[in-house]
Amino acid sequence: MHRVVITGLGCIAAPGNDVASFWSTLKSGTSAIGPTTTVPHEKLNIRVVAEIKDFDPAQHFEEKKLLLLDRFSQLALVAARQAVKASGIKFDGGLGAETAAIVGTGAGGMNTLEEAYGRLFNNGTGSSRQVPLTIPRMMISAAASHLSMEFGITGPCFATSSACSSANHAFGDAYWMVKSGRARAALAGGTEACLTYGTLKAWEAIRVMAPDTCRPFSGGRKGMVLGEGAGVAVLERYEDAKARGADIICELAGFGMTADAGDIVMPSDVGASGAMAMALKDAGLDPSEIGYINAHGTGTLANDSTETKAIKRAFGDHASKLMISSTKSMHGHVLGGAGAVELVAAAMALKDGVIPPTANYQRPDPACDLDYVPNEARQAPIRAALSNSFAFGGLNAVLALRRL
Amino acid sequence: MADIADRIVEIIAKEAKLDASKLTLDTRLEELKIESLDLVQILFAIEDEFDVYVPYNDEAYKLETLRDVVDGVNRLIAEKQGEAAPKS
Repeated sequence: MHRVVITGLGCIAAPGNDVASFWSTLKSGTSAIGPTTTVPHEKLNIRVVAEIKDFDPAQHFEEKKLLLLDRFSQLALVAARQAVKASGIKFDGGLGAETAAIVGTGAGGMNTLEEAYGRLFNNGTGSSRQVPLTIPRMMISAAASHLSMEFGITGPCFATSSACSSANHAFGDAYWMVKSGRARAALAGGTEACLTYGTLKAWEAIRVMAPDTCRPFSGGRKGMVLGEGAGVAVLERYEDAKARGADIICELAGFGMTADAGDIVMPSDVGASGAMAMALKDAGLDPSEIGYINAHGTGTLANDSTETKAIKRAFGDHASKLMISSTKSMHGHVLGGAGAVELVAAAMALKDGVIPPTANYQRPDPACDLDYVPNEARQAPIRAALSNSFAFGGLNAVLALRRL
Repeated sequence: MADIADRIVEIIAKEAKLDASKLTLDTRLEELKIESLDLVQILFAIEDEFDVYVPYNDEAYKLETLRDVVDGVNRLIAEKQGEAAPKS
């Protein structure tokens, strides 16, 4: 078994288009949530989202390449380029064949799909011809394939899809591959870009969306806010990273996953706490060693109270000493990419000893009575952290990180 | 008014698989033990039937009994008609 370390991170999301700007916004407690500027909103009842700003795909990709890339693949590639550059890893000399590329996404190429269906259906008066590149753009594994092509990665490559846990399942699988020796290194992450009219309407209809903003764990919270973005990490064996003198951000020390086998939308504290306990055990961490949890914290009534119960169940007396925050209050719910941008937040918290806050917090809720680091970042050196993802369908995936 | 109440009772009975004859305006929603997904379906059906938007988690709408639901829908319909009326 090998120790697995993170040597490079990349991300693009509403708070910032690279790790430095994203992290700086998170530390300042500034929410990037606001009214949509890109989706036709005359018929939208819920108009707040967390959109990426100042992103011009043409600045990142050649015209011919761009034809092949749905926005979710574009974001994944941008994040991956940042991560590989920061890590300094080179996939030559055979390493490409021993590297995995695993990318989680919940929805895949939703922009492509919506455009295609709009063209075809249009209330029965649509075109009978379809855009030729619809399939390669929309397929849920497209982002993973593009990562492999971009960097010459010829080892295990696929997508994971488990709704809002997709990214954490991708990290978990990549972590186990590197740990077991199945792969020598991995590019892993998650991406989502489904801020489209149809998607927003569908989320509106299931009635978990806040009309104002996302206030995780706060009294007066009204639901979640959709975001978009991608995050990618370079995972390597500890000894390889040391040998090449890489800058190690932290250790990816453990992974836990469970399924509730309960309800398709309601969360369960038993399933969620089981995944946290499994991640701790896998990492060989005592609960008392954890200083921070980047919570799933969607801002819905059900998630935040259930997650609070789950944390108490997994941590016992130590729960009240934990710092817990939901950075979704700033970058929105990135769905299949959520665990990826949140891994960036958790890893940077470990590296810098700064806990990003839960923004938009107003007042305590009796059902959420732990320390959620309200509104202001906190200087606090920590040794280890968890990053939680609990998806619709009861799919729970938790990562454990340790400072080296 | 009565017509709206009947239509709402019918929707709730159908979506939550309840016996409509046992529902009255004083029936408390809590007693019906409506599951969250059924609730979402009920709200969707009400929106579709009356062409209104039912706000989510809105503190202005305290829904305890079926009468509260009927009153709420009446308010939404009135608001919508107010919006649609030509401004003088």
